[in-house]
Amino acid sequence: MSVATTTPTSRPAARSQVRRRVGRTAIFVAMTIMAIIMLYPFAVMVLISFKTNAQYLIGQGSSTQTWQQINSSLPVWQELWNSTVVCTLSIAIILVIGVMAGFSFAKLQFRGGNVVFLGIVSAMMVPLQAILIPEFVNIAKTGLTNNYLGAVVVYAALGAPFSIFLFTTYFRRIPDELIEAGIVDGLGYWGVLWRLALPMALPAIATVTVLQFIQIWDDLLVGLLFLQNPNERTITVGLAALAAGHTTSIPLLMAGSLVSAAPAMIVYLIFQRFLVRGLTMGIDR
Amino acid sequence: MSLTTSLAATSAPRRAPRTSLLTKRRRRVGVVLVLPALALVGLLIAYPIGQAVYYSFTSWDGLTTQWIGPSTWTQAFHNPTMWTALKNNAELLLAVPFALGIPLLVAVMLHQRVAGWKIFRSIYFLPTAISWVVIGLVAEHFFAYSGTLNSLLSDVGLSSVHTNMLGQENEALIALGITFVFSMIGTNTMLFLTGLATLDQSLEEAARIDGAGAWRIFRHITLPHLSRFIQLAFVMTVISAFSALFSLIFVMTGGGPGYSTTTMEFLVYQTGFNQSQFGTAALYGIILFVITALVGIVQLRLIGAKDS
Repeated sequence: MSVATTTPTSRPAARSQVRRRVGRTAIFVAMTIMAIIMLYPFAVMVLISFKTNAQYLIGQGSSTQTWQQINSSLPVWQELWNSTVVCTLSIAIILVIGVMAGFSFAKLQFRGGNVVFLGIVSAMMVPLQAILIPEFVNIAKTGLTNNYLGAVVVYAALGAPFSIFLFTTYFRRIPDELIEAGIVDGLGYWGVLWRLALPMALPAIATVTVLQFIQIWDDLLVGLLFLQNPNERTITVGLAALAAGHTTSIPLLMAGSLVSAAPAMIVYLIFQRFLVRGLTMGIDR
Repeated sequence: MSLTTSLAATSAPRRAPRTSLLTKRRRRVGVVLVLPALALVGLLIAYPIGQAVYYSFTSWDGLTTQWIGPSTWTQAFHNPTMWTALKNNAELLLAVPFALGIPLLVAVMLHQRVAGWKIFRSIYFLPTAISWVVIGLVAEHFFAYSGTLNSLLSDVGLSSVHTNMLGQENEALIALGITFVFSMIGTNTMLFLTGLATLDQSLEEAARIDGAGAWRIFRHITLPHLSRFIQLAFVMTVISAFSALFSLIFVMTGGGPGYSTTTMEFLVYQTGFNQSQFGTAALYGIILFVITALVGIVQLRLIGAKDS
């Protein structure tokens, strides 16, 4: 009885279910093809780095020779260290300046604050190439291009506006009463900033750190021009310089690419959600 | 009740001078906290804009300047290389619809949450983490004469079509554009997926029960909901097309063959650092600045509209 009643009604239902399953399978296939495309760079890097230059040219065989020699052909450790130093110093400045200014713009309304805020946020839109020439001359004149600081201050200036914008948005959510209570309790504004506001801004700190780390680690232009001492080159600059010298072996370049990409990829995989948050910060709320 | 009113009456005049003192202090701290940011951004971003304008009226080699008036400007506008660079920029904008359309499709597919979608998501986002220098190096291998593209072509029986896109004046820019689209996929997919996550599922469900097909749901519910995210992605992609291709060009083509892949941002670098014409390079920078500022105003309005 129940079978008899369900059969006629379930036929269209079954058909739509079949259609649904076909649709889902099609999506799965399309997504797999897309995954192959997106993984292509990694496959190329891994496969080619395990060849000698001769093997690469004839397209056969594999070897660990490139990896064994990478240290002598490319100062990877030195360059990884350089990247780490430049990233750390730049991000530290970006965070400190961002937290201070963001707290001020959000909670310590001073006259003209809004105009200054708008001015700084607009600086986000200025591409470095637009001011590259005067910037380079100015920094070179101070002699900072001969050490890490040349690149560090430029990275800091480029990263600060976004950081300030993010922290301002974040601190605006702290109720004014909480700040006032802290002042009445005698914490002072610095105390309120460090003990009340900062702990609440930890997710924003993570977002800025991850975004800036990837940006600075992966950057070429600033490092190329503002780190004039070859011993202070970041790994990305070292790689591009190696690529520009056309005699270089491709397997070596691919091995170097993998080494340079690994830290940013690891950071990215661990902190993916902070990146997404930073990206959509302007639109989410 | 009388107690509260009298309390309020007595405490009000006493509190007034105290708060104004506090306000003064608050404002002073406020200014002090902003000063480092103002100094950094002012000295390293705002001031050089003014310098660039000034230097564009001088003959300048980085050390000595000599006022020569607007002659650099007239020269620049008669310089075919600058027009080539602007034309290349304009042509690269043709890549923008692909840099938005493909991620939109990918995001909608991910949003269906078929088996393994989280793994797919991580894979699609992964190239976002790596430098465009690295992507450029891989792309060079892809487009090379003995590279992946040609072996793919011969695999499907098209070995007679042997491409050398990066070596051809009229094809190198297309290869650059394709690489640019690839490089933008992760970021834009991420944006659209975030947008889709804020979409009310029951809305789509209701439409489906009402018998709306997948396309109609997409066209009338999903797409309007995503409009703000699409706008943001559009602005970010256009700005990237003007100011983020340096690494790709540097590694893949060096601006060549000829000037066929030289964009404005690369022309600034070439003119300044290969030809040491700092005044002219500064001028190109200003033109780039004006273009991106126009795009940037759109984005500020997007952020501002939501902010208020």
